[in-house]
Amino acid sequence: MIDLRIRTTQALTALAMAAIGVVPGCSLTRAGSSGVVTVEVAVFEGGYGIEWHKSVARRYEADHPGVRINLWGDPRVDEKIRPRILRRNPPDLASANLPVWKLIVAGKLYPLDEALDSPAYGQTDRTWRETMIPGTLGDFRYDGRTYAAPTALGAWVCWYDKRQFRRYGWEPPRTWGEFTRLCEQMTARGIAPLAFQGKYPGYAWATLLSLYQRLVPFERWYAMQDLQPGAFVDPDFVRAASLMQQMAVRYFQPGAMAMTHTESQMEWVNGRAAMVFCGLWLKNEMKSAIPAGFEMACFPVPMVEGGKGDPNALYGGGAENFCVFADAKHPREAADFLKYLLSIESARSYTIELDTLSPVAGSTEGIPISKELQSVVAVLDQSTRVFQDRISNLYLEFGATVLQQAQADLLSNRITPGEFARRLEAGAEATRRNPDIYKPRPMGVPEIR
Amino acid sequence: MRRATRKPGGDRDRNQALFVVSFLGPPVALYATFVLWPALNAFRYSLYRWDGLSEPAWVGLGNFRAIVATGSEFLPAIRNNLFLTFVPGALTLSLALFFAYTVHQRIPGARLFRIAFFFPNVISSVAVALLWILIYSTTDVGLLNGLLRLLGRTEPIAFTESGNLLWAIVPMSVWSATGFFMVLFLAAMENIPETYYEAARLDGASSAAQFRHITLPLMWDVLTTGVVFLIVGGLKFFDAIFVMENGRPSKTTHTLATLLYSKVFQEYNIGYGTAISVMLFLLVLAATLVSLRLMRRERLEY
Repeated sequence: MIDLRIRTTQALTALAMAAIGVVPGCSLTRAGSSGVVTVEVAVFEGGYGIEWHKSVARRYEADHPGVRINLWGDPRVDEKIRPRILRRNPPDLASANLPVWKLIVAGKLYPLDEALDSPAYGQTDRTWRETMIPGTLGDFRYDGRTYAAPTALGAWVCWYDKRQFRRYGWEPPRTWGEFTRLCEQMTARGIAPLAFQGKYPGYAWATLLSLYQRLVPFERWYAMQDLQPGAFVDPDFVRAASLMQQMAVRYFQPGAMAMTHTESQMEWVNGRAAMVFCGLWLKNEMKSAIPAGFEMACFPVPMVEGGKGDPNALYGGGAENFCVFADAKHPREAADFLKYLLSIESARSYTIELDTLSPVAGSTEGIPISKELQSVVAVLDQSTRVFQDRISNLYLEFGATVLQQAQADLLSNRITPGEFARRLEAGAEATRRNPDIYKPRPMGVPEIR
Repeated sequence: MRRATRKPGGDRDRNQALFVVSFLGPPVALYATFVLWPALNAFRYSLYRWDGLSEPAWVGLGNFRAIVATGSEFLPAIRNNLFLTFVPGALTLSLALFFAYTVHQRIPGARLFRIAFFFPNVISSVAVALLWILIYSTTDVGLLNGLLRLLGRTEPIAFTESGNLLWAIVPMSVWSATGFFMVLFLAAMENIPETYYEAARLDGASSAAQFRHITLPLMWDVLTTGVVFLIVGGLKFFDAIFVMENGRPSKTTHTLATLLYSKVFQEYNIGYGTAISVMLFLLVLAATLVSLRLMRRERLEY
């Protein structure tokens, strides 16, 4: 009996050892003997889910009998992919919260230009590149090549409830003066003017950068993006920081700096705060809480009186970026599938199913879209160009150590706008001096067609 | 004859050894694979600049130099760790001793108190943090701000805003840790023979004198263990800060553990992050040795 027990234990031990010692390094994609190519696609599974991606993959497979798309999603997809990138066994295509710039500089990504310059799916008279909204492919260009393509179009706007505005006779403001007057009226009504996602001070960055854009021509805005010496201590940048601080101190809902994004957005949905600055994901994020009769609409960051910036430029651009890995087994097929994800037909289904915008030009034309989205489309239609920050993508350390703390201190009125600017400038100087941090050549003002 | 000289039970000894090895083998192998090997690797990685995506580059002690350079977040993080070690630590120890001694005096309902005080300890630290987020909330659900509103305060206090967060963690930390230390100290107190107290009482010793001259010296070893627990816990403080800062602490609120997480997993600065982990290891080791040395006394036995 005891022998039997011992043998069983030994067998179990052997099994356990085998389990520890042998971690299968097998690939998920393996070209079968049938000649069918399997493209592995890993997708960040966030608020938008992966059902749309799956439906496009099924259509692609039907159109391309020689290709199978093995598409999977995970909220922590980046953690699963990272060790595989290191083992040079990445999926073929991925959309993940990865440091794209680090990957580009390390030569881990495959340029999409060959695919971008080939005819688009569904619009064969144009190249894939030409079908994209101008400016949306510019975020991850390196040495003249494009390394990522976005499947979503983002925009930074101020959201409000039309019904509440009608009830009190409020109008969406166009200028900073109108904005502050409106905020005063709201305060007089006992309603906090602005909800704010204070536990993430970074939510203020897009608003602050939009205010700065209103004040200066794009040459200076992009000089700041290129970390040109002195850009942050520019008096206009200090003024933008001062407007941001004024907004926080006077008009943020009391206690907002201790609220998470969901808490503060909930305050807005419940009408205790009248407005909130956010991206297009707001509706999806809050859809289960939005009450009947709530009329979500938006306006862009107001123009600042006396500013020299374009009053109709809109903070926004590509989002949910996909990249093909240099070590992918089937990079060309993966890039082709990405092109298909961004065909006009896929873009339309994206807009309808996920109630958000696609970076493919014309994708909202001739299809039924929600009232909220119509409001965003109206803002976009009036915009002359889109611009968005790349500092926080490029300089992760600057973003995490300098920017976050400085913003929290600025918004909580612990530092002056001047001190805020000096801290950012010092952080930028440290970044400039650090030879280990990759700095792309100054990009100046990107051209738009 | 040879059979007779053979040591009786030899086979059984061998079998027993095999039996023991087969039981110890898997846990030792698991421990070596998932704890020892990565820990040793951390020392190696701390000497490289590595983003986890490209090939590591040797920088020698460069990461350690950067850690102690001016303006680095390392020193503020240590300051936060020290705050979270000593402020809640001192309160926890005092309260735990007080409650343990009170319960030990067999006051009515002592059992109930013992269970009630221990209860927060069975809740995971993440759940505790989530619970206290609700207590501190500035929205309608906030218990504390609700009370302040009843007392006539019009604007809520942003307890969990990064500038206030460390202080907000103090009551939470004391609330969740006191029960454990109370039970630890109570067990030590209950092991002290009653006869000492009887003798002291006959000599007319007051309650305070009994505590000072009998209880405290005879439970000194356990108290030392408690202090070491608190110091180690304070130095590797992570959960509450991470949860209450939504995974993105700032320089004001970083502890060493959240800082190393942020460096490794958010900034992809793996060499620098592991260098922080090496420093954390050395700090915990030093603090433990120092506290053991400072609290060393001649062992009293009963």
